[in-house]
Amino acid sequence: MDQLHMHTVNHDGAHYDTHYIQDVIAQSFKNSAPFWPLKNLIAVNPLQGLEHLPIEQALALANAYFQQKDLPARMYAVNCETIKWLQVYCDDGQATLPMPLRHHGMYTSWRQLAVYDARLHKHDKQKQTFLRELPQAAEEAIAQCLEYLRIAKEEHVQFLTLMLTTLPGWSSHVAYRTKWARADESNLYPMRQEDYVAIRLIISTLLWPKAKELLDWHKKAVVGSQSANTALVKMEIAEKAYRTRLLQKLATQAISASHTPAAQLIFCIDVRSEQFRKSLESTGDYQTLGFAGFFGIPAQITNVITHESYASCPVLISPKHTVKESPCSPRACENDKKGYERLVMLKSIYQSVKYAFTTPFALVESIGILSGVWMAIRSLMPRVAAHIKIAAVEAVRKTQELEPRLDTISLSDQCSYALNALKMMGFTSNFAPIIVLCGHGSTTQNNAYETALDCGACGGRHGGGSARILAAILNQKKVRAHLIQNGICIPQTTRFIAAEHNTTTDEVTLYNVPDVPEVESLRAHLQKARAINSQKRLEKMGEKTQALRAVSDAWLRAHDWAQVRPEWGLARNAAFIVGPRDLTASLDLEGRCFLHSYDYKKDPQGAYLTAILTAPMVVGQWINTQYLFSTLDNVAYGAGSKITLNITGKLGVMQGNASDLMTGLPLQSVYSSDTQAYHEAQRLLTVVFAPQALLDTIIQAQPVLHKLLGNGWAQLVCMQPDDRTMYLLNRDFTWQRLS
Amino acid sequence: MVDTFLNWLSHWDAIAALMAALITFIGLSVSSFASRYMKGDTTYRLFFVQLILLITSLCIMVSADNIILLLVAWSLSNALLVRLMIHKASWKAAQTSGVLAARNYLLSTCFMASGFALLYAITHHTSVNAIVHHATSSELMLPALILILLAAMAQSAIWPFHRWLLSSLNSPTPVSAIMHAGLVNGGGFLLVRFAPLYLRYPTLLAFIFCIGIMTALCGTLWKLMQSDVKRMLACSTLGQMGFMLAQCGLGLFPAAVAHLLWHGMFKAYLFLESGSAAQEKRFDLGYPPKLLAFMGALLCGFAGSVAFDYITLNSWVAGDSSLVLIVVAFIAASQFALPLLRFNTVQNLPVALVCTVAVGLFYGFSVHVVAVIMHPMGLMQPQPLTYVHILGIIALGATWLALLFFRHRAKTSNLPSWMLKGYVTALNASQPHSSTVTAHRNHYQYL
Repeated sequence: MDQLHMHTVNHDGAHYDTHYIQDVIAQSFKNSAPFWPLKNLIAVNPLQGLEHLPIEQALALANAYFQQKDLPARMYAVNCETIKWLQVYCDDGQATLPMPLRHHGMYTSWRQLAVYDARLHKHDKQKQTFLRELPQAAEEAIAQCLEYLRIAKEEHVQFLTLMLTTLPGWSSHVAYRTKWARADESNLYPMRQEDYVAIRLIISTLLWPKAKELLDWHKKAVVGSQSANTALVKMEIAEKAYRTRLLQKLATQAISASHTPAAQLIFCIDVRSEQFRKSLESTGDYQTLGFAGFFGIPAQITNVITHESYASCPVLISPKHTVKESPCSPRACENDKKGYERLVMLKSIYQSVKYAFTTPFALVESIGILSGVWMAIRSLMPRVAAHIKIAAVEAVRKTQELEPRLDTISLSDQCSYALNALKMMGFTSNFAPIIVLCGHGSTTQNNAYETALDCGACGGRHGGGSARILAAILNQKKVRAHLIQNGICIPQTTRFIAAEHNTTTDEVTLYNVPDVPEVESLRAHLQKARAINSQKRLEKMGEKTQALRAVSDAWLRAHDWAQVRPEWGLARNAAFIVGPRDLTASLDLEGRCFLHSYDYKKDPQGAYLTAILTAPMVVGQWINTQYLFSTLDNVAYGAGSKITLNITGKLGVMQGNASDLMTGLPLQSVYSSDTQAYHEAQRLLTVVFAPQALLDTIIQAQPVLHKLLGNGWAQLVCMQPDDRTMYLLNRDFTWQRLS
Repeated sequence: MVDTFLNWLSHWDAIAALMAALITFIGLSVSSFASRYMKGDTTYRLFFVQLILLITSLCIMVSADNIILLLVAWSLSNALLVRLMIHKASWKAAQTSGVLAARNYLLSTCFMASGFALLYAITHHTSVNAIVHHATSSELMLPALILILLAAMAQSAIWPFHRWLLSSLNSPTPVSAIMHAGLVNGGGFLLVRFAPLYLRYPTLLAFIFCIGIMTALCGTLWKLMQSDVKRMLACSTLGQMGFMLAQCGLGLFPAAVAHLLWHGMFKAYLFLESGSAAQEKRFDLGYPPKLLAFMGALLCGFAGSVAFDYITLNSWVAGDSSLVLIVVAFIAASQFALPLLRFNTVQNLPVALVCTVAVGLFYGFSVHVVAVIMHPMGLMQPQPLTYVHILGIIALGATWLALLFFRHRAKTSNLPSWMLKGYVTALNASQPHSSTVTAHRNHYQYL
């Protein structure tokens, strides 16, 4: 029954040429949304590949592809073996003895090993021969397998799509590696979509020669998925209620005459900034603004001491400059270098004894007692443990302030970044003596999802580096002069200061602080804002605490290794508001809104608004849909519970012994308990404070907006500046006036 | 009356005290960790009830003197552990993992029950203490000891009983921690309990040593190959259990207990910390080392092992089975010194020597402290050195050197086909049982 039908097939498979195969494969990958690795988890819509469809159809189809309770029984073995090989090939530094031959590429190395895999050939002579005689090119192997499996030409795309969607998480990783991975991932071994598909097909051919049945299974699944989607109906009710409430509040806000405050602070558009901004504004005369957290600088930031390098910009943009960062003085550089060497030495000794033969037996006997004591302290006295850890790290390598070297960004680029950033926010006058550019990042322990809490606009990293670059640019005399030529006059006494907002503890660290008196009171107020916000945050965590202890209790969540909910991240995000802060400043938006500063009066052509709607808004929609689908079905689109997760290859998470790569957010990020969702599943509502005509032109011209708004993946409301009337954009791009 | 009854049931000696201390310590740490880690879980309370029952049952087990009580507590602990492992029965793979473990434990209990039955037939005693001290020689003794050995091997996942352990990672992290720190050590504990009887059979000890070393090598090899953190830890436990068994086989039971205790703490910590695996950045260690650095490291290794000797009162020249442990100390100390000597070998040598000696002393101390506590039991009985031990030493040394000097080639060059075949065979051998893999994403359940 399991015989391969080799005799019926001519061996060369030649009538499908390479280009045809590559084309078919590119098409079959359309349903696989990319999934970023743990080192920079970028939020993404798991149904990104279906966004060209109206959401109703997409949800039904997604159900057929991703939410089926079972697969055809023979598929399980195929998945098991695929997972086994993907785990070892994709491994990014976990195995000490990694899969051999990886430098040859995925298919080539696998082909040389698979001949020995008894779980594939089961000692069957014919199958062994088949494995031994596999063609050298993945495309040829694919063509051959398609023939063995007797897949008709018109069903190639569908069949290959199913080969991918029956193991969706790992396919997403392949999609990421082949479509999105950037140059800084150069340490990884080569991978092509054809390689993966070839391996998957060969395994199927060997373990389930009748894999063609998958097509029928899918047809049935599609039929079964047509029933009305209750999730969408529920979502619409919640969305409408939220929209009505929000718009009512927004309609009554007055735009006050501008004045020069004590300081201005520019935060990331992230929903967590909103809460903090509100808390800070309540402490003094501060004006806050919202802007994408990479501050418009497409930079790859490299630390000169550690040589670590990362792209600090949204994944939609490729970095244009490599900016080196180093401690501020030669002496600090020298100290940091020594500290880093000490750290590396300590870790190297440990790793050298741990990852070898024979020596681990002695390792456990000598440091067992120490790790036992450390475990007890961390578990029973997490606060004490955190202090010890911080002190130890500081003793080995003292934290140094960093500064960027701007020599890789030409003056004209610097000027245009500065100008664009200020203009896009409509921030062109009334400059305070201190202007803080505040990126953000998180602090958590023992958390695979650490980077999911960092700044998405900075490619899933901390945003301090980008803030330092723009602050340095804006403090340059030449740049200021250029800005004056463009009508933006920043007083000579105004200083730009970079900062980073820790979203877990609400601590704001100011970098390279100039010697000006205003900073002291700002620091005090930041401290006060932290206390206010910590208390709000703990309430959301369901933790009762006294005001005095709030800061320290919130801090503990960031430093406790047993904490699975250190902060709520972007959970409950619901809206994206584009307009001046006055619209929202006196409202409590509950940390549910992305806020982008914008002044339509300074953007007559709509160029900046176009940029906002096609970049930050789209990123907001990615985040929104990730939270949404992780909440709707945490198994199919989320990662499941943290308590059983197992990190594989340092790149992703599996459940238990082995499983599909669990894409999406873990249960604990969107649920306050196993059964109680914390995130509210609703689609992103974008509210733009700009004339309707301007919006019309932009939407018409931008395919991405057409796709998202026309297919119902996001909603848009226009708030007319002159009379404050509100218009909801219908799916057919007509406007509906809201009363 | 009650007192006598309790005395009849339990026997608090050094090993019972050490084991109970370990269990309580780990239990307390893990429970405290889990009290935050498991928040929001639907079975939160039940989980802790079961955890407390497990800890209690384990304490009864390690202090039991009556063989029936030992057997009952042993089974109860295993049953509770299986329940904790499954956690959410709606997740089929987790349930299967539990069933697999349960079957193994059942097997272990059967071996143990038959072994105890034979011992009872020989001695007519139900007290472990009495059995051990009053057993007369009988031809049934060897079969009884083999049965108990098999029970121990199954409990401690020694090859060929290892598969269930590699398939056990569908459990919540705290359960894995308590399992790898506590329950898998059961086998070692059982052997130590009956150690005086095993010491009568040098050939059996040599066999135990062989099985132990084999498991130790397999476990370590698999550990180094794994690409997910939890299976890596499980394979590592396998290796460590093998080494513990080998220590028993050397007649150095207190060393085995020390290994069991310290490994338990170490592994529990690593499991609880497994969420940070992605952040752990591996550093290039510059293999193969330069010859000068390697020679320097060997010198340091020698100094370290002498320091270890000095504390543990063994000796390089004693010519008994404790040589194996000294060689392990020597290899480990050399490996420890390698990174220190990688650059500026000559200048760094004095520092490296001092560090290695300090570490050797500390290592010796942490083994010796257990030996001192267990001294009254008189179980530190090195065996005469035989070719089996020498072969073991060669295997431990050769694998160490192979990794040091040949691993880098695998990264960039082609390997001979026997190595490729070996890789695939080992990869397949270290896979979890396929029914415990969640092959379809939607089969995973958290409710």
